[in-house]
Amino acid sequence: MESRLLQLEDLWACFHGIIPAVIATCSRDGTLNISYVSQVHYVDPAHVAISFQFFNKTHKNIAEHPYACVMVLDPRTMQAYRLYLRYERSEFAGPLFDEMSLQLQAIASHAGMTDVFRLRAADVYAVQRVEEVQGFTALPTPPPSERPASLFVARELEALLVIADRLSRTELLGDLLETSLQLLDEFFGFRHSMIVLADDRHRKLTTIASRGYRDNGVGSEVGYGEGLIGTVATAKRPLRLTGLDHTLRYARAVRERAEAVAGPGAVSREIPLPGLPGASTQIAVPLLARGKCLGVLSVESPESLTLLAREETILAIVAGQLAAGIDHLGRDTEETSDPERSKEAESPARSARTRSFCFFHADDCVFVDREYLIRNVPGRILWRILKQYHDEGRVEFTNRALRMDAWLGLPELKDNFESRLILLRKRLEQKCPDVRLVQRSRGRFALETDSKIDLSEKPA
Amino acid sequence: MVPQDIQELLLSGVSVLVGTRDAALMPECTRAWGIRLEDDRATATVYLTEATSGRTIANLQDNGLIAVTCCRPTDHVTCQLKGQVRRIRPADERDRDRRLRWHRLFLDELMAVGVPAPEAEALITDPVVAVEMIVMDVFAQTPGPGAGEKV
Repeated sequence: MESRLLQLEDLWACFHGIIPAVIATCSRDGTLNISYVSQVHYVDPAHVAISFQFFNKTHKNIAEHPYACVMVLDPRTMQAYRLYLRYERSEFAGPLFDEMSLQLQAIASHAGMTDVFRLRAADVYAVQRVEEVQGFTALPTPPPSERPASLFVARELEALLVIADRLSRTELLGDLLETSLQLLDEFFGFRHSMIVLADDRHRKLTTIASRGYRDNGVGSEVGYGEGLIGTVATAKRPLRLTGLDHTLRYARAVRERAEAVAGPGAVSREIPLPGLPGASTQIAVPLLARGKCLGVLSVESPESLTLLAREETILAIVAGQLAAGIDHLGRDTEETSDPERSKEAESPARSARTRSFCFFHADDCVFVDREYLIRNVPGRILWRILKQYHDEGRVEFTNRALRMDAWLGLPELKDNFESRLILLRKRLEQKCPDVRLVQRSRGRFALETDSKIDLSEKPA
Repeated sequence: MVPQDIQELLLSGVSVLVGTRDAALMPECTRAWGIRLEDDRATATVYLTEATSGRTIANLQDNGLIAVTCCRPTDHVTCQLKGQVRRIRPADERDRDRRLRWHRLFLDELMAVGVPAPEAEALITDPVVAVEMIVMDVFAQTPGPGAGEKV
């Protein structure tokens, strides 16, 4: 007798179709059938899947009476195992179906029988019992510890795979940034995170996306070499601080106090960097592509022992992908739909509120209703858009046309136009939600507003 | 009566699979170590080891229903015989010669499809119980068009 109950994982070597398996079934009236199955697929510790390709007796029997006995062999020793199964469901789509179907298609295309070998469904069975067949082979059974970890994928790896897949599907820079923070939260519990992008020319980093903070801090800046994030950008190496420095906490406390005293309406041209008041640990990893630091991904936690080496590794992997995506999507701003067309703005309803924008030529700053909104290149972009809207009634814009506008002062190479636009969009969402820059497709967006827009300028 | 082409198949080193079921209709499968079609071509004998086929033998003693699939590994030519067990008995000298002949051919087949000799030779095919069955139905099971048809 076995000293330990067999687990499905112990049979890992049997699930590769090296030796065909055997399946016995019977109909409702007890008529038997026994046949081969080319492969039994491992699904999870309690389930296996068998491909349904043909309407044969096995299939008919299972539909009538959902029980089966399957015998699989370990190709290393010819050890046999019986699995007692109960049919549970058929999958016609999804990762399991796709994997099994692709395998079958590859085999079929080799044999020139693409139409014959077609997966109709992945039939999933609950494993009711696993039995080692004693006296089948003279070779010793390898101990379960011999199973390679690579066969049964660790939860973290599976999550990283899903993240890789989802990020590789994003087509817009803004989606890439938001999705990555959302998935890091969903799969790894990184509740407080942010992405800052590097501006090499001005040697500073600007917050472009954040998650889990009271104020999103988009647009806030930190210089190269300043603080944890700035240090990571210069060193191009991940950094993990457990038990955050007292000075850091002190600095944050001072800032919060100052905000409390001055009140939220205080006119300030500095946006504070997002930060958890009680952060205890922080990890920042550089976003490296082609050896250059494009920005920093940072996470924080109020609990002291939650962000450790494992978390740093996970973040570094995701950061690599994020960087490749930023590098690609940030550069490639080809338009994806119909050519530029200019649409007339519809006049807002008579009762709509008025938003007053003011441009300060001295420092390229835009204020909305006397509150700081944005400055520098994104400030100029906004001003250009608002002017065209106000003076010409234009609502649709393209990156291409704006990039050619010399007044914006964009560098000829690597203008980061897309990320500046994201920054602008998010600042508007936060400070002036009734004026929106809505992405129409890659390289195209529209100004939408429910308000009447009033413009004024302050010369330098 | 079993057709002649199937008789020839059964004389080669086929892999032999046996299906049975209990009174509650729970199926059971096992591997047999050889098959022999008798001269009348209406009865056949399959060879099981008790160690690996305890539940199969119990089912056969209970209801006698048996399904046997025979497949030649090198070309996948396959048939299924369904029938009723007539007798279960210990294998004798005559069975021994038949089994040894089958075993040699079966090992050749396994090695021809890439099973290494040490693994193929490690299969325990003794001691043996002979199961005599009356063949009632024969089905072609070679994968492809016509699979599952009665012959």
